[in-house]
Amino acid sequence: MNQNVDHILSTRFGRKDGHLLSVYESEEGYQALRKALTQMSPLQVTEAVKEAGLRGRGGAGFPAGVKWGFVPQDADQVYFFVNADESEPGTFKDRYCLDYDPHMTIEGAIISCYAVNANLCFIYIRGEFGWLVDRVQRAVDEAYAAGYLGHNILGSGFDLEMIVHKGAGAYICGEETGLINSVEGRKGQPSIKPPFPAVSGFLGKPTIVNNVETVASVPYIIREGVDAYRQYGTEKSAGTKLWSVSGPVKKPGVYEVPLGIPFRDFFYEYLGGMVEGEELKAVIVGGSSVPVLTASEAMGVNLDYEALAQAGTMLGSGGMIIVPQSADMVELIQVLMHFYFDESCGQCTPCREGTGWLYKIVKRLRKGQGVQEDLDLLDQVCDGMSGLTICPLAYAAVMPMKSFLEKFRPEFGALIKETTPVGPRSRWPMGEQEI
Amino acid sequence: MNKPTEVQAEFSFSGQLQAQFQHIVERYPTRESALMPSLWLIQEEYGYVPPLAVDWLVENLGVSHARVWELLSFYTMFRSEPQAKYVLQVCHNISCHLMGARSIIAHLEKRLGIRLGEKTPDGKFALEGAECLGACGHGPVMQLGKHFYEYLTTEKVDQILESLKKDIVPRADTDRELEE
Amino acid sequence: MAKLTIDGKQVEFPDGTRLFDACSEVRGEPLPHFCYHPDLSIAGVCRLCQVEIEGMPKLTIACNTTVRDDMVVHTNSDKVKKSVQKILEMHLINHPVDCPICDQAGECGLQDQYMEYGLYESEVSIADKVNKAKAEVIGPHVILDKERCVLCTRCTRFLDEITGSRELGIFNRGDRAEIGVAPGKELNNNYSLNTVDICPVGALTSRDFRFQKRVWLLRSTPSICPGCATGCNIRVDHEADRIYRLKPRRNNEVNGPWMCDLGRMEYKLVHDEKRLKVPLLRQNSELEPILWQQAWSELTTLLGGEVAGVALTSAGQTLEELVLYRLLFGDIFAADRVWGGLSGFGLKESDDFLLASDRMPNRTSLTWLGLREIKPDDLSQKLSGPAQLVVIYGGDPVTADSKLESTLADCDCVIYLGTHLNATACTANLIIPVSMWAEKDGLFVNKQGRIQTFHRAVSRPGETREDWRLLADLLAELTAHQPPTSLPQLRRLVAEELGIKPTSLVSDLPVTGFIPDLSARIPTGGDH
Repeated sequence: MNQNVDHILSTRFGRKDGHLLSVYESEEGYQALRKALTQMSPLQVTEAVKEAGLRGRGGAGFPAGVKWGFVPQDADQVYFFVNADESEPGTFKDRYCLDYDPHMTIEGAIISCYAVNANLCFIYIRGEFGWLVDRVQRAVDEAYAAGYLGHNILGSGFDLEMIVHKGAGAYICGEETGLINSVEGRKGQPSIKPPFPAVSGFLGKPTIVNNVETVASVPYIIREGVDAYRQYGTEKSAGTKLWSVSGPVKKPGVYEVPLGIPFRDFFYEYLGGMVEGEELKAVIVGGSSVPVLTASEAMGVNLDYEALAQAGTMLGSGGMIIVPQSADMVELIQVLMHFYFDESCGQCTPCREGTGWLYKIVKRLRKGQGVQEDLDLLDQVCDGMSGLTICPLAYAAVMPMKSFLEKFRPEFGALIKETTPVGPRSRWPMGEQEI
Repeated sequence: MNKPTEVQAEFSFSGQLQAQFQHIVERYPTRESALMPSLWLIQEEYGYVPPLAVDWLVENLGVSHARVWELLSFYTMFRSEPQAKYVLQVCHNISCHLMGARSIIAHLEKRLGIRLGEKTPDGKFALEGAECLGACGHGPVMQLGKHFYEYLTTEKVDQILESLKKDIVPRADTDRELEE
Repeated sequence: MAKLTIDGKQVEFPDGTRLFDACSEVRGEPLPHFCYHPDLSIAGVCRLCQVEIEGMPKLTIACNTTVRDDMVVHTNSDKVKKSVQKILEMHLINHPVDCPICDQAGECGLQDQYMEYGLYESEVSIADKVNKAKAEVIGPHVILDKERCVLCTRCTRFLDEITGSRELGIFNRGDRAEIGVAPGKELNNNYSLNTVDICPVGALTSRDFRFQKRVWLLRSTPSICPGCATGCNIRVDHEADRIYRLKPRRNNEVNGPWMCDLGRMEYKLVHDEKRLKVPLLRQNSELEPILWQQAWSELTTLLGGEVAGVALTSAGQTLEELVLYRLLFGDIFAADRVWGGLSGFGLKESDDFLLASDRMPNRTSLTWLGLREIKPDDLSQKLSGPAQLVVIYGGDPVTADSKLESTLADCDCVIYLGTHLNATACTANLIIPVSMWAEKDGLFVNKQGRIQTFHRAVSRPGETREDWRLLADLLAELTAHQPPTSLPQLRRLVAEELGIKPTSLVSDLPVTGFIPDLSARIPTGGDH
């Protein structure tokens, strides 16, 4: 049953001209903005988004309307950030949104800013998407020229300035307070919470940070209504999701499907199954920072927030990585542990030291220098990181590490060649020095 | 963190860049917040951020030296030293890995005669590893400045290198024809 | 007020109290921590002050939590202890085992907390440990060991928030992150050594103190910095009559927990090679050491004669000494020939923090006692005329104004009671060695008008006399006054002089000092 949805987020995906204002306007572009500004109050917009059940699509899945409601009513200054720092391994859907349909995100951002009374909006785009930064800037310029940005938008009295901000290569800037700090001119290190951004964020003022896909979903909700949106998805996971699919499947790419469809259907009907000569071994559903599912686990699960949580993983960013039988799981976890080691901001001790340590232990294991105790050590290091840090990056490293170890332990065990030396580890012979 | 090696006479912005800098400072709510876009302005002009530019930023934005260097060392894209003419960054994260990034990297190392992380002696090519570039379904992928080269095969790599050796930057998979 | 339960005890704290402070008070000792500091912003990066709050699924850091009604907090549950142990292990895995060569040993946060919460074998392979630069001089006073740093950010926060000079940054990401100065820059401000105080480990250490003394051999004596009129509260760390370093002592009314680098170096003068240790008498234009008996005899003969004498002291002497000085010389020389010091002496640039422009610790006492200051030219005038006897007690007026050298050379007799063989001493006929601030108990009055007490840390060198006893003996010998015979008696005399309660300078003297109400005082001879 093909439930492909192509008219909410992916309407103009793959087209050569979808980024142009003229095309966007001719295909109901900016009608939602007009409706919101002229027929709805900011509170009504927030209510609509809340009722539609739109959840944050960046990874946390927190209801967007609820987050908007945290902004104090009497705030004298509110800021809005569109999080286009997309760096979660396996995820490339925000890229598609901004590449093929930047105006959809811009319109969604303007409506969102109206809802929370923000007069300055930053679109934070990761620096590696330099080509996208230029593209989005051109779209923003078009929007200004057409009167959708600037003073007194569409005669509503609402002012909004929009700045396209270019990142410079740091995954941690995808964390909302890391992003805020980055725009303030600091390193993109997350802040301790409380205070929460909605109360005190950018320059100490109430701030909302939303993912591109979240913001891009807003025009449809406003234009077509809550019910139209809710006809897709499940009770708690309403609407559609953009799945980024990579790995050796026949048809990798970005797919918009209603939340809740079974993985099995998605895998066979949309992705065409594995390429010739490969079989499914495992699936990482939500970007690398979630627990891995074995092939059989994946085949039994539906693709929505609740079902995946119940299956012991997370929907996360929806960056689906298909792992074939030919893959070496320990090699893969080394790749992932290197990523977190590389990207840890270094602020808080458990993550800073733990990510480095996990990477080094796995690296040694793969070189045949590991001992049996190293497998327990990996678990212990994970326990020294989970729940003890400022931001969830520690979790992001721990979840793949622990789940790979739990579900593919024999592959780790097979690498153990040495017998454990006697006595405490600090007195074991030094062995080969690693630079 | 490396000490920059080039010595320059003085740093200042030329007319157009000065105007762009002014524009940044006017739009961003604080001078401190103008730091990142200012660094990009400098780097896009000079290919890196020279130490004298750091002094200039400290003076003009009222930030500390330590702060500028924090940004230069924290963000991988900011460079404090002159770069090779073509810096090729190949993603080695999980999706690209599954699609054969390792062999692409090995192929590039062979063709260029350098290891990952090194620069060719003539300063023309540098080969770097990169974390996920957001092109996972199009992998393996390599970045050169603002261009992504996707769906890489050894043949495609060879074509790209041949073109670059002639100083022609081949059309990237991310380039679009603009219909204005 | 918030009513909450901490470790089973029902307690009450004012609204807004940090849970860290509340828990620390209840426990009687601080929660484990590195990054928390009461005078700096909250960083929340070390993650050690985890507590369990009932109803919350995860542990929370206490430093970033405020007390609330009905909170039930556990600081010592198994869950907390296990987590603290794990986090501590994370701090240790890349930390070099430098204890045998690290100055911080004995006052190290890692050592202390490991002994309290750790005591386990290391699980990290030496080959995996991250290496960074060691023993890097980053400024005139501070040396940095990047490997030892636990990245608590206390130093960067201090330099951002207290001095605003922002010399230090944290560069790179992940476990490559390191503290440092920007290339080509250094940590060179007058408060740099405070970063050494607040660094919980041996990452930032004092160059001056490097390898000088193991800290467990040091004894600490509370004192007051003599470097300027701020009167920062300090402690003197010493062993076997040698001072090794000065550190600030918290007084929230005066200096908080800070002091300046200039003040820290004040101890060096105490052990300076030019210290006067024996009385000296000029014979055949050379200064020769003499025995105390002879010195006493010379002194009393000179002072007891009917000679027109002038006395000059300085704002570096203690309040008690100044009281006795005025009593003695006011009697034997006449009040209008007794001076407090050279006007303008010891005035320099202040900064907008602790260093006062007045570089003398006790000028306020001169004001209170009516000991006026005199300009060098006026002093020269006073000294010209019939047989002149000059007594200079403390200070170094000749270095302040070199013209005084010839003036003094023309005097009949110059008696110098001082601590160093300085330019003034070199003009003297008789030199009596006296004690320095670190060698006596005394009172200084700072620029706030606050009376603060300091204590003897090290013994007087050689045959140096205790100032007040010398002055008291001279009073007994040369005047009709009955001088005090003990320090408490002396303090009561001073209290009487100031018109304040006698016990306020003895048993009732607060640790933080106090600003007396002098309104009831009957002014004596010529004060403002």
